[in-house]
Amino acid sequence: MMKGGFEVVHATLDMIQPHREPIWDFASVGFPTTSVAAAVSSIPRQNLENRCINLERNELSDWVEQVTKKLIDDLPAQNTDTDDHHSRTLQAPADIPMLCEDSFPPSLLGDFRPRKTVTSSDFDELQWSNVNGGNDRGLSRLDEQGLSLITLLLECAVAISIDNLGEAHRMLLELTQMASPYALSCAERVVAYFAKAMSSRVINSWLGICSPLINYKTVHCAFQAFNNVSPFIKFAHFTSNQAILEAFHRRDRVHIIDLDIMQGLQWPALFHILATRMEGPPHLTMTGMGSSMELLTETGKQLSNFAKRLGMSFEFHPIAKKFGEIDITMVRLRRGETLAIHWLQHSLYDATGPDWKTMRLMEQLGPRIITLVEQDLSHGGSFLDRFVGSLHYYSTMFDSLGAYLAADDPNRHHIEHCLLYREINNILAIGGPARSGEDKMKQWRSELAARNSFVQVPMSSNSMAQAQLILNMFPPAHGYRLVQGDGTLRLGWKDTSLFTASAWTSHISR
Amino acid sequence: MYNNSSSSNNNNNHHHQPQTSHTSTSRSSDYSAGGDGEPSAAGNKWASRLLKECARAIYDKDSSKIHHLLWMLNELASPYGDCDQKLASYFLQALFCKATESGQRCFKTLTLVAEKSHCFDSARKLILKFQEVSPWTTFGHVAANGAILEALDGEPKLHIIDISNTLCTQWPTLLEALATRNDDTPHLKLTVVVTANIVRSVMKEISQRMEKFARLMGVPFEFNVISGLNHLGQLTKEALGVVEDEAVAVNCMGALRRVPVEGRAAVIGMFRSLGPKVVTVVEEEADFSSTRYDFVKCFEECLRFYTVYFEMLEESFTPTSNEKLMLERECSRGIVRVLACDDDQDNEGERERRERGSQWSERLKEAFSSVGFSDDVVDDVKALLKRYKPGWALAQPYQNETGLYLTWKEEPVVWASAWKP
Repeated sequence: MMKGGFEVVHATLDMIQPHREPIWDFASVGFPTTSVAAAVSSIPRQNLENRCINLERNELSDWVEQVTKKLIDDLPAQNTDTDDHHSRTLQAPADIPMLCEDSFPPSLLGDFRPRKTVTSSDFDELQWSNVNGGNDRGLSRLDEQGLSLITLLLECAVAISIDNLGEAHRMLLELTQMASPYALSCAERVVAYFAKAMSSRVINSWLGICSPLINYKTVHCAFQAFNNVSPFIKFAHFTSNQAILEAFHRRDRVHIIDLDIMQGLQWPALFHILATRMEGPPHLTMTGMGSSMELLTETGKQLSNFAKRLGMSFEFHPIAKKFGEIDITMVRLRRGETLAIHWLQHSLYDATGPDWKTMRLMEQLGPRIITLVEQDLSHGGSFLDRFVGSLHYYSTMFDSLGAYLAADDPNRHHIEHCLLYREINNILAIGGPARSGEDKMKQWRSELAARNSFVQVPMSSNSMAQAQLILNMFPPAHGYRLVQGDGTLRLGWKDTSLFTASAWTSHISR
Repeated sequence: MYNNSSSSNNNNNHHHQPQTSHTSTSRSSDYSAGGDGEPSAAGNKWASRLLKECARAIYDKDSSKIHHLLWMLNELASPYGDCDQKLASYFLQALFCKATESGQRCFKTLTLVAEKSHCFDSARKLILKFQEVSPWTTFGHVAANGAILEALDGEPKLHIIDISNTLCTQWPTLLEALATRNDDTPHLKLTVVVTANIVRSVMKEISQRMEKFARLMGVPFEFNVISGLNHLGQLTKEALGVVEDEAVAVNCMGALRRVPVEGRAAVIGMFRSLGPKVVTVVEEEADFSSTRYDFVKCFEECLRFYTVYFEMLEESFTPTSNEKLMLERECSRGIVRVLACDDDQDNEGERERRERGSQWSERLKEAFSSVGFSDDVVDDVKALLKRYKPGWALAQPYQNETGLYLTWKEEPVVWASAWKP
């Protein structure tokens, strides 16, 4: 797919300092702005009225789903159709229309039933399928400007997927000048970031390098800001904590391995419950994994202080390596310790290294509980697969932020730019988020289920209750959708699931 | 890993003062050591270091170094981040174009897109917002208007030849001044010469508004637009409609820099031939002209100038301002043009090889002698600057120099001057 091989140059640079302190205060978050904006959009053509995306349905993602499926089906290698849409994607740049209402093939607005995600489980179809399908009424509310931008974006993605980088670059020059990440329209914001991510990819293609350069401090900072305004992280934390708590019932020597501990935001809450539980606090060892020893040490210090204040016996072992790159001797697991492995997956960087090694080490360690929270987004597959999946995913995510944060809210911008854009950039990069060209497992819970060494532990009703509590903290509650099924808990926005929490136990667990 | 750049850098002080600005960045955090005991300078201004290294590597044709630096810049840059990230992004684009020899194509595409999405409303909104938060353009307007009014005082028929791209935002205050003069209101003919394509499309609305405003002010007014010129050298007295009994003023706002370097003397001579009472020249303080044969020097000067400009934008606008974004994008086109396009492809003069006030003075002295700005005008400018955030100041030049400078954090950024035959 890509021209030439790529050179994997491992380099992480901590020299870049974070550029701003975000506004943490949750009370400063405004309420949903559902008013139709009559203001001229930032890049007007003929005084187009800029309409906000309707809050009732997630049409942007629906529409994207429909169009991309059609585009992919029409790729030259697979299809000899001569319909308008097909020929339009291959036309010379000057012919590509900017406003596409007339050239939009009616077939796309028909009775097509969109898939929501790239996962294959039947459960998905049942829970998330869109019974109404695509319809004109929904689409007409979409921002016209956003529509034309997304069309160009899709064409660009197709160009990249067939390795037509020159054409892609030209289209990206246009897109990156037209879409603004500060726009009222979520669609336009998404386009701005996707376009930039693809530009970045084109340059890396030309350079033949795919390795990332990461400023962990900035990333952690943005992660924390996101945690303050959106329930997804807390959902992950609290449901996992509950599962771990249950697994630690009546155990007095416990050990938690956090595969990517960052600032350890999750753990104080669990410490508190463990310290005050009926059978008394356990002795807790925590192995925190991450990218830099300096950051890990800092996290360890904070957690140790907290545990001390609670009167709980606590040990912290930092490992500044990836879980899939260590062997079992590096884990200071003692006889008689009950082990929990926790993994909150994200697309910011490759936290764990080679998947098969990660799996193998998990099997060897034989934990009593593995708490896994996955993004409902596949990191594997071809560029176009990742593009379609992530466009759907992040459109939904952007919609959820846009539902109650103002367009000019600097905190929202901080999250979108320093967190979500980072992920988008990584997912679209050469070699996917791992940036290593290795095969990534499509969905971890399927892999765990497929192995004899693990058995699923269904998320309890207590976990569900925890999740409900979290949702009550975040307006607008009606936008988020919590679903229990298949032993998992899933949190999404409107019709789209974004995160799935599950738990597993090892057959050989202590 | 990187040697400290040895290039001269004449703006050493403006980054380090605490800012009274929208960004809640605590600058002190930029000085703390990085994760692995990196020296304190590493955190701040990383873009400048990497970019200069890369420019040098391109000049030296050091392929592996070029690749490595472009990769780093590509990973770290973002047009939506902080100043360093923005500068990295736009200069990376130019460097990438240079390395792939696609500068001309890139510039053409960027310009086409900008023109397509340009319209009167957006242009007007943009410039008005910019003038609201920054004196970058209004400084020149106030100084020039002051000089023009004084030079044309008492004249009954005025003809102002306006060569600028600020969409006539300069003239309402002048019209007002004419209307409120003690003696008879003179007749004003305003001939606007438009060189940037992007502005041509909006001149119709502008002329309607100007005529309406003049009527409101009670100033007898005639408005003409001259566009479709390839370069200023093509202007003639007849084309401009200059007649004998008029008192002529020529107003050049960022106009001379659009003239190809070799054609500048001729254009100045042409101005002289119009017999003006006053010529006002306002330009941005940067030198892309004397460095045009030295890629690295030109690059460094370009970086210096745009760093000041971007930082000024960052502090003048809100963090999520679309107007700021559009101004930055405008810069990106200029940066690609200056750094990544070959000189021989320059047939439109849109390269904008800026020169400093001292350089323009040398040229203008061939045909004109300088006119100092009166105390009244200087007071007007000072009053104007008070309306903006702190950081802006006026600097009057030393003995042999002419004009007035607008300074941002003590860095001269805009130069205004007045001349007579």
